[in-house]
Amino acid sequence: MTTAGRVRIRRVQDMQRRERMWGLLFVTPIGLQVLLFCIVPIGIAIVAGFTNWNVIRGTYDFIGLDNFVEFLTDKYFWIAAGNTIYMLIPIPFYLFFGILFALGSHRGTPGNKVFRILYFLPYISSIVAVVVMWKWLFNYQYGLVNQGLAAIGIQGPDWLGDPAWIKTTIVIMIVWKMIGITSIYVLASLNNIPDVYYEAARLDGAGPVRMFFRITLPMLSPAIFFLTIVGIIGSLQTFVEVQLFTSDGGRNYSAATITYYIWQKAFVSNELGLAFATACFFALAILGVTLIQFRLSRRWVYEGE
Amino acid sequence: MKKRSAAVAVFAAAALVLSGCSAAQSESGDHKITFMGWGSDTEIAVFEDMIAQYEDKFPEVTVEYITVPAADFQTKLQTMIASNNTPDVFYLAPENVMPFADSGIIADLSAYVDDNELFEADNVWAKALDMYRYDGTTPGVGASYGLPKDIGPFALAYNKDLFDAAGITAPDPEDPWTWDEFIAAAKTLTTGSGDAKVYGSAPFSLESAVWSNGADWLNADHTEVTVTDPAFVEALQWVADLSLVEGVVPTSEEESSLPSFQRFMEGKTAMMGVGPWNQGGFWADASFAWDLMPWPVSPATNERAIWYGGIGFAVSDKSDDKEDASNLAAFLAFNEDAQRTNMEQGQAIPNLIDMTQDEYLTSDKLPANKQEFIRIIEDYGRRATQTYTYNSEWFGLFNSNLASVWTGEQTADEYTASVTEEMQGMLDEGIAEQAK
Repeated sequence: MTTAGRVRIRRVQDMQRRERMWGLLFVTPIGLQVLLFCIVPIGIAIVAGFTNWNVIRGTYDFIGLDNFVEFLTDKYFWIAAGNTIYMLIPIPFYLFFGILFALGSHRGTPGNKVFRILYFLPYISSIVAVVVMWKWLFNYQYGLVNQGLAAIGIQGPDWLGDPAWIKTTIVIMIVWKMIGITSIYVLASLNNIPDVYYEAARLDGAGPVRMFFRITLPMLSPAIFFLTIVGIIGSLQTFVEVQLFTSDGGRNYSAATITYYIWQKAFVSNELGLAFATACFFALAILGVTLIQFRLSRRWVYEGE
Repeated sequence: MKKRSAAVAVFAAAALVLSGCSAAQSESGDHKITFMGWGSDTEIAVFEDMIAQYEDKFPEVTVEYITVPAADFQTKLQTMIASNNTPDVFYLAPENVMPFADSGIIADLSAYVDDNELFEADNVWAKALDMYRYDGTTPGVGASYGLPKDIGPFALAYNKDLFDAAGITAPDPEDPWTWDEFIAAAKTLTTGSGDAKVYGSAPFSLESAVWSNGADWLNADHTEVTVTDPAFVEALQWVADLSLVEGVVPTSEEESSLPSFQRFMEGKTAMMGVGPWNQGGFWADASFAWDLMPWPVSPATNERAIWYGGIGFAVSDKSDDKEDASNLAAFLAFNEDAQRTNMEQGQAIPNLIDMTQDEYLTSDKLPANKQEFIRIIEDYGRRATQTYTYNSEWFGLFNSNLASVWTGEQTADEYTASVTEEMQGMLDEGIAEQAK
């Protein structure tokens, strides 16, 4: 090889090295962020899950799988697990109403912009303010809901105090809160469906119902899939509603969710190791559920040509 | 090569900046101490004013006042403890004294209490100071780990106008009603229906009933759950029956719809347990005359019984400026101006005995029988049982479904039998924890 050739190769190598270095430098801030606020905390959580870390004393010993045995044999964990699954109930309801509302305020509807803003309000309202308002609506003696029921001759339940009803109250509130954001997402994907499909269908003589099921719904499936995934994760992590609506997770733990259980173990009972172990287990469970959904999604989600 | 070391330097600098945040504070010449608490807006304003006075008196000290919503306080405090960032002075609940003292989080203030320039221990309610004492095994005695923010005796208040209208005279402070006399009076006072319903009494204090009946949640050395003791069961059922059988107390659904405090303010409840912190609200909004009376007594003992509570100020054992921090705690606890402000706003009874006697008891504001608060502090008041144990989870469990007794779904007998074993397990865990 000639000297000139070697120099050229060297230069190219230098360039590559320089570029690599600058590249590394540019990703450093985000890399640090991921390292410090994701990887390190997750690592700590996994390790601490195998200890009996007591924050107040600052002591810990490795105790193997004891934490996992403890929460898996704790009846309150299973009550919380049942309640957590209960919190999945709102999802089909708000998906249904979200799609309905989106179709209602799509394009031609008069005043559709006003509707969109109104739909969005519950989602951007402070959850604390919303819960305070709902506590009044669902007040046993003086709430609008029970007064409305009384007007048609039904004695409404003690929505907030009765263990059999508190979860229902939370479910209704989540549905109400989520309809708006759901319909905004659906609306966005509705606007992305090319008109040519409908024109072609119309030429072939398809009616509106057929067009909805054969064109609109399949074209919406990626959005619905996304909303289902996010919705399930969100529902499984229900926490604020429980904490604001009840004290101590409701009578007999009737509204406590797994996230609430974890919080209680960490900050009320001071058993941080147990809380981390539960959190790790729960994170894996959510991951599992999400992977299954992706697998199932191949059957019904339209991915484009 | 040079460029690479430049990148390394940038990286290292970033790391330094990140880690340097916490170290920067202590370098200033001033003593800087942090104080963390919660409170209503008025209370926070009073504290800000007090802190300004403290900084005037001790010009070399700067105080950073951190306020947290009451519900988040414990979580925030634990996070700060875990990250070795404990505030120098912070609110201390009596039930935290034992675990915090054993773990070396709060400083022993005994020497300071005995000898300091801000207050005389003799002039402070002994029970208020005792709430933060702990000798390593028993709470309430031994070394001091906190100074009282206030002491809250829970007294029985009554609506004088309703009593007069029903022709009932409140009992003499030294001669309390028996339970039967209380029920008879409450029945007379209970009138009307629907929106005009007036109840004889708010839900009765379970502590008062249980203790006056000669029972308690735990045995005397706080090692055994005793809620299945017949005297306990009887007291619990008696409280529940005030609503279920006698109908002189709102049902638990009604209570959750409209808390007794509001019912009382609207003149729709004749008797209710209140603390000194309620006085301000009554002075401002009550359109009726009211006073305090002694708690009714069970025939089993004929003894009055009720709880007093409170919050204290603790000093972090890791504080760099323990002297300044202790001074701040004492200043907040006993500063005369602040004590007077709290008293005049109807938030608290002064911690200082002489001020209570010279200014509080002689004031012409309601209640006329202010002495009842003092009797509770000095004579028949008790600390809540759960403040004697290492953790109060057993007590939380007891309360978790207590509503099923209030609604009549379960009898007191059934309920206590269903929870006692699990409560004992939780209590044992606390005892084991303390032994570590």
